[in-house]
Amino acid sequence: MFNPRNPRFKNMKRMKPRIAVFKYSCCAGCEFQLIFFQKHLLETLKAVDVVYCKMLKSGGVEAGPFDVALIEGAITEEWQASQLKKIREASRYLIPIGSCAVCGGIPAIKNSTDELDVEKRVYADTAFLHSVTAAPIDHYVKVDGYVKGCPMGERDLDELVISLLLGKKPVFLEYCVCVECKLRGAICVLVAYGEPCMGPVTNAGCGALCPVNNRACYSCWGPMRDANAKALADQFLKMGLRKEDIFRKFTEFGQPTDEFKPGALT
Amino acid sequence: MSHREKIDIDYLARVEGETSIRVELARQSAIELKIFEPPRFFEGFLVGRNYDEVGDIVSRICGICPVSHMTTAIQAIEKAMGITVSQQTVILREIMVISQIVASHLVHLYMFAMPDYHSRSGFVEMLPDTPKAARRLLKMKEVMNELTGLIGGRALHPVTHLPGGFTHICPAANFSAMAKKLRNIRRDAAGVVEDIASLEFPDFHSDSEYVALDSQSHYAVNEGAIVSSRGLRISVDEYRGYFEESQVPYAFAKKSAIKGRPSFMVGALARANIKFSKLHDEAKALAGKAGVTFPCDNPFYNNLAQALEIVNGIERCIELIESNVFKDEDRHVRLHSGEGGSVTEAPRGLLYHWYRIDRQGVVEKADIVTPTSHNFLNIEKDLKKLVKENSDRKRAEIIALCEKLVRAYDPCFSCSVH
Ligand code: SF4
Ligand code: SF4
Ligand code: SF4
Repeated sequence: MFNPRNPRFKNMKRMKPRIAVFKYSCCAGCEFQLIFFQKHLLETLKAVDVVYCKMLKSGGVEAGPFDVALIEGAITEEWQASQLKKIREASRYLIPIGSCAVCGGIPAIKNSTDELDVEKRVYADTAFLHSVTAAPIDHYVKVDGYVKGCPMGERDLDELVISLLLGKKPVFLEYCVCVECKLRGAICVLVAYGEPCMGPVTNAGCGALCPVNNRACYSCWGPMRDANAKALADQFLKMGLRKEDIFRKFTEFGQPTDEFKPGALT
Repeated sequence: MSHREKIDIDYLARVEGETSIRVELARQSAIELKIFEPPRFFEGFLVGRNYDEVGDIVSRICGICPVSHMTTAIQAIEKAMGITVSQQTVILREIMVISQIVASHLVHLYMFAMPDYHSRSGFVEMLPDTPKAARRLLKMKEVMNELTGLIGGRALHPVTHLPGGFTHICPAANFSAMAKKLRNIRRDAAGVVEDIASLEFPDFHSDSEYVALDSQSHYAVNEGAIVSSRGLRISVDEYRGYFEESQVPYAFAKKSAIKGRPSFMVGALARANIKFSKLHDEAKALAGKAGVTFPCDNPFYNNLAQALEIVNGIERCIELIESNVFKDEDRHVRLHSGEGGSVTEAPRGLLYHWYRIDRQGVVEKADIVTPTSHNFLNIEKDLKKLVKENSDRKRAEIIALCEKLVRAYDPCFSCSVH
């Protein structure tokens, strides 16, 4: 685990922050979001040193040391887990970016079916596969915060980069989508139209994008801490959803999370 | 075999996803594109999911062409369930898909491909040489992302797009403001063609079959017949009768081939080769100015074809936005069992999705073939020829050429192991 006295970290303060980006099983969308840090791209690149990012450049120092390692994607093979542990040792801060890395996201949907069954549906010969249960980054190593969203949210990314440059602790949102929804004055699609909205249990950050666009939230930001998944699942039951439907709602993002399990098992 | 006779490019940079290239110089037959990006089993875990989740899920196959996966899947599901959509939905889908094709081409050209031609390791390293190009890229990319977001709610993994149509249409004023912005980047688009035409493409000729979607009326992206430069002309429903995949031990992506034929190429160059006459006049004129004629058999010119599609796409979007008034509509969906497929032109070429849906609206079977699977065999074929023709060159030069060729194809390995 991170040891600040490790001689490798000496003198790092005086340099531009050294950033590395690693990709595991995912769509690479968060990395795109990063590369196109919208209007801030050129100025950000002046302030930080991207030392490893395969999508951005050839070569790069894979071994570190890094001030910040940003990790995209879920872990689905063992070699990824062992590499991840090395990255942890070489990094001052390690931060998962995007739902895949934060809570398992879409890649973790496969966990709800027997692994071999899933594999057999895709490959005739499964002997050469080495897949394991999909898991988020904090299943394997300690992390120093989460940038949530699928793709990761711009607000949290801004917060992370600014905090890093100012040397302060980033503050991430710790409430649900409903709060943003009400702040924006959107009509509640759950109350008004009986749509099964996941907003009450989903972490904020998107600005209630779906309700604003006349659709129920499908929880792409992943679970909020201390979410009351059971209560929402019971509400869905009352609204006439079948158990299978409720199971799917709570397993689209964050299949392995403790927060959503009580909902999925309703 | 000695070390000198073998080239291993571990983890090729500046492509979408994870791959290595292995070349044995003595035996060109031993060229392998080792796609080590882990398999992701979308076709496996889509089984058991609801029909209206599929678009959102498959969008996450790829962060650079999410709209393509989403649109292709939704069209396939609509076919399977017998859902019809309005003309407005058809038009909005075309705009959304084109906006993403243009954004994807921009990223590929400037961030992935161009550093090769400036002998730089990446875009950031190339910036001091090409500050104008960087600004052009960012300006245009922002407008195109904004256009996708205008229709989809956000550019990456849109939220408004469901079977039956769109949940919400933004106010007409936003569309006219967008048309202005698009008019504003027309000159930049012409500049992209100039930027790309000024690159020195290696002189290389590949003997390939080109495959693209073609329709009578326009430069089609979401519908039409599957047409090849060697006489294939089939409907989308006939896809499985003609295309088949095989598995290889060194890659998690499958290789697609037309039954009984060796390999084929899809993507911008294939499209330009098949339907150049349907490009916008502006794009055709710029091609003439650049001194290139289609059909063209040099895969490195895929980059130029992409630049022309940027011009074409922007013109088409302006046309569609200015000749239509979009408003909120109801979506009509009822549960119905059935099966159906759809083919669209993703930025990197032909993309196929097929689903079987049961009476409850749940997926029973899913089948997805991505552009990079379609191109897989052709990339290996061209690599072999390229290495053979350049075998007397220095090792570093051969490596650079191989990387350049693979990047010219603009492969997406994340997609390929969906
Ligand atoms: S979190 Fe979403 S956008 Fe980010 S890599 Fe995963 S699937 Fe892609
Ligand atoms: S629409 Fe959804 S997010 Fe908004 S208040 Fe209602 S339940 Fe919460
Ligand atoms: S409302 Fe829910 S599903 Fe929609 S973008 Fe926000 S978190 Fe994601």
